[in-house]
Amino acid sequence: MIKASLRGLLQRKLRLALAVIAIVLSVGFLSGSIVLGDTLNARFAGLFSTINENVAVQVTAKDPDAAEPARLSQADLDRLSRVDGVAQASGDVSAEGVIPFRTDTGKAVTAQVGLAAGVDSRGDTLGLVELREGAWPARADEVVLSANTAKLAKAQRGTQLKVFVPQLGEARTYTVSGIAGFAGGRDSLAGETLVMFELKHAQELFYGTTGVYASASFGAASGVSQDELKKRIERELPSGFKAQTGKEATEEASNALGDSFGIFTIILSAFAGVAAFVGIFLIYNTFNIIVAQRSRELALLRAMGASWGQVIRAVLLEALVVGGFGATLGLGFGIAVGVGAEALLSNMLGVDLPSGGVVVSMWAVLWSYVVGLIVTMIAAFIPAVKASMVPPIAAMRETVRPDKSLLGLSITGGAFLVPGAGLVALALTGIGSATTLVLAGGVVLVFLGVALLSPLLAKPVVRLLGWLLGRGQAGKLGVRNALRNPRRTAVTAAALMIGVTLITTAATVAQSFKSSIEDIVGQNTGVDIMILGPNTGPPNGEIGFNPAALDEVKKLPGVTDTAAWHITIEAAIAGTPAFISAADVPTAKRMWQMQEVGGQLRTLGAQEMVVDDNMAEASRWKAGDQVTVGIGQTSKKYTIVGIYKRTPTLQGPILGLPAVDDFAGKLAYQGFVSLDDGADVAGTVAKVEDIMSDYPGVTVGDMSSFARQQSQAFDVLVNAITILLGVALLIALLGIINTLLLSIVERTRELGLVRAVGLSRGGVVRMVGVESVLISVFGCLLGVTLGVGLGAAFVKALIDLDFMSKFALPWANLAVYVGAALVFGVVAALWPARRAAKLNVLEAIAYE
Amino acid sequence: MTLTAPVITRTAAAARAADVWKVYGSGEAQVVALRDVSVELERGRFTAIMGPSGSGKSTLMHCLAGLDAVTRGDVFVGDTKVTGLSDAGLTKLRREKVGFIFQQFNLLPTLTAEENILLPLAIAGRKPDRAWFQTVIDTVGLGDRLGHRPSQLSGGQQQRVACARALVSRPEVIFADEPTGNLDSRAGNEILTFLRRSVIEYGQTIVMVTHDANAASYADRVVFLADGRIVSSLDDPTADTVLDMLKAAAG
Repeated sequence: MIKASLRGLLQRKLRLALAVIAIVLSVGFLSGSIVLGDTLNARFAGLFSTINENVAVQVTAKDPDAAEPARLSQADLDRLSRVDGVAQASGDVSAEGVIPFRTDTGKAVTAQVGLAAGVDSRGDTLGLVELREGAWPARADEVVLSANTAKLAKAQRGTQLKVFVPQLGEARTYTVSGIAGFAGGRDSLAGETLVMFELKHAQELFYGTTGVYASASFGAASGVSQDELKKRIERELPSGFKAQTGKEATEEASNALGDSFGIFTIILSAFAGVAAFVGIFLIYNTFNIIVAQRSRELALLRAMGASWGQVIRAVLLEALVVGGFGATLGLGFGIAVGVGAEALLSNMLGVDLPSGGVVVSMWAVLWSYVVGLIVTMIAAFIPAVKASMVPPIAAMRETVRPDKSLLGLSITGGAFLVPGAGLVALALTGIGSATTLVLAGGVVLVFLGVALLSPLLAKPVVRLLGWLLGRGQAGKLGVRNALRNPRRTAVTAAALMIGVTLITTAATVAQSFKSSIEDIVGQNTGVDIMILGPNTGPPNGEIGFNPAALDEVKKLPGVTDTAAWHITIEAAIAGTPAFISAADVPTAKRMWQMQEVGGQLRTLGAQEMVVDDNMAEASRWKAGDQVTVGIGQTSKKYTIVGIYKRTPTLQGPILGLPAVDDFAGKLAYQGFVSLDDGADVAGTVAKVEDIMSDYPGVTVGDMSSFARQQSQAFDVLVNAITILLGVALLIALLGIINTLLLSIVERTRELGLVRAVGLSRGGVVRMVGVESVLISVFGCLLGVTLGVGLGAAFVKALIDLDFMSKFALPWANLAVYVGAALVFGVVAALWPARRAAKLNVLEAIAYE
Repeated sequence: MTLTAPVITRTAAAARAADVWKVYGSGEAQVVALRDVSVELERGRFTAIMGPSGSGKSTLMHCLAGLDAVTRGDVFVGDTKVTGLSDAGLTKLRREKVGFIFQQFNLLPTLTAEENILLPLAIAGRKPDRAWFQTVIDTVGLGDRLGHRPSQLSGGQQQRVACARALVSRPEVIFADEPTGNLDSRAGNEILTFLRRSVIEYGQTIVMVTHDANAASYADRVVFLADGRIVSSLDDPTADTVLDMLKAAAG
């Protein structure tokens, strides 16, 4: 029995080829994502171990994120340096977000990371950074640049270089006293910039006082192990500090980074999951058609005494072999994809990492086989049961399978659709905690429901489409073929539907956002120019611009009002992470026309705040209530003095300007400017840009350019989603090819007949083409309809939350999708139609 | 073998083969299906091709109908030289000059009986001659079954649809390949009667391959093949004379 089934498998290898490709693609996508994540992780781990190469022990503050983190004094450092077994000691004075400006264009250098450090005349005693030319900075106005920084900023020894220091909130000019490189001849560790200041100056800049260090690293004398030195140093540690071996520090740093890659891998894996889900439809169709074509053979096995269990096992065994084979190839493919993507990504981000081998973890292997096998087994299960139900008598006679009623199927479809839609609604109203899971589960149920209902829809929709597209006799035959097995047509189309639905949902939400933004811009709020902080990192007060710069803006002709907006995401309200602003409320009220709902919108003192009505309602707060607000490591009771009406542009808790003292830095993240009627907007924008040019990454624009920018961001997002769904769409395309090819095998004799009665080769091509286009356009229409529906549900939820104000249909996108489906259908038909047209008429008729 | 090239002339032949060879495979595995066969099938007559299995009778018909290419020699349908026609030429030939009836009926399951009958005309983009269509329907007796799908028809009814399909475009010649092979004798005789009537009443030319002496007895003429050669022919056959001839050929 097993032998018979495996032999059958080999004979049908061509028919299973596309099923295998579907598995290879979805498993490849998944394992590729995992390999990519693991490899990037390993690269960064390699980077950290390079950084810590000569570090035996590192001493750092236990709580570096505290409002007033513990610092090592010079005396502490000296004492630790004298510990027996310490060969070198290096106090660390460093900062991030220190950004040099290019000497040629005057623009800020755009690197992923802008590092700064303080060095004395000894340089880096631990030997990571080496001076290549010139001298270490000896005065407060001198800096040494890493070779990469010098290259990016077009600076040389002796050049005057403008450098932005976030702690100062402004840029200063320095003289480049030397150029340094990294051990091993590298110009940078990972494409970052590094500006090294004179030690005392750096301490004053970063920590506000001289003679302190954030942390320290120690090299061990020969014969002293890292662990031994750690023990010795621990005995001398000042309070608030901890010691780690170099190895531990490396692990901690790369694990922290690994978490951020983890999210990246999860997002990619979700899209891989969609691809695998689509693959189920293709594989299901393949096994279903193969079982139908083999019903005689299966009946013969049954007539010879095979039990139905044996038949099921035989089909599932085939699935297991196909799945295992596909997963193996997919894993290989994924490794190749992961390697390629890593190279591409490193290149794109300008991250110049030390090279190293590809990393294939256990997880990549495990997930490949789990997904490959499970997907195939799920897909083959119903066909296997169907195979077992072929009666032995079918071996003896020509089986006539009457069209089964679609009633049962449609009821089952409804049984999936209704709870699925319910779950989506539930998730969108935000009841329950596992919202994302509920939503995903709901969407999957909706997909299954619509897929099960689609055979019912296939007849009327395909007939209508056929009337539009199926011109000529060849076309009419194609329409008939698409209609003859609505289940097959529907399952094939449903695979395409899934991808199209997700894309349409994204496009609908994006379009609604875009038109909501246009609405806001259209409303005259009083704000004419917006100043936006850099998107290089999350706002916390350390990036943005000095609010004092707005004083200069206010002096510009035509400017009536300015408001600085401080934002931090390192905050929590009543224990829940939140996005907090600090601003002068009366100015904001004037400029944004804030409406008072409760309390008073007045200038806020320390520990006073206003919140929006939505938030107040959800948390049952009213004016006068006290709420705990955490900013960074601080936690204070704030009194709600006012409640304002939430709008899509203005929402969330707003604190008074005194609260900015608790932010990580004093930089404003956004700024708003009001102008006189008839003021020169473009001219003022240019002038504000000029004022803001000292602040790296800060952009200035009028409201319409702001709207345009936002629209573009949404377009990019939709495009990215479309690209990530590319694999799912490709599998759907393969599904159409697969169905057509298998149908052609099934209809060989009919093809021979239509040729014998005079249909030309071109006619056969048209016939197959029309069937293909009908399937793909049907799938696309299902997807577009479902996607608009889901999109509308999302938009409704977002409107309820005041994130947007109106629903809008992305007409242009929808037209493109339907047009693309037409092309898709034609492309899918190319190969099957060629095969059909090349059939030998005589052999086709004689075909048994 | 004659060396004079066959001149294309209007003859009484609806189809003819001139010095036709058909060889399958090469070397050791070579099989000669037709050896220097020349035959003329007269217009307006019903010709049966008979012979034991492997005698080449089906091959001859396939070659005459342009379904299979000959190795050497020439085939004509009417005044069209079939040999060497491109696929487009063959398609045109099938649309205009040739009709088929198969043992397996070969109807399209997605089309009704009427749509199946009109399929060749629809493919060729020709308007059906309604009066002729009615005549054909009446001849094969399908009046009340036109809206049915093939799966709703009996074997005999399906073959009648296939006959009507072949007749409706009034081809130069209809090739029938064992048309009664899948039918019981009653249904078979009905089909043969229609074929016979369409020859007598409408002057349709029919070429039928069969191994059934009874079926052959409906023809005007029977051509016997053995080992790829025409061994004899018989005019106005009866079932008995055909059987005698078969025995002689086999002996």
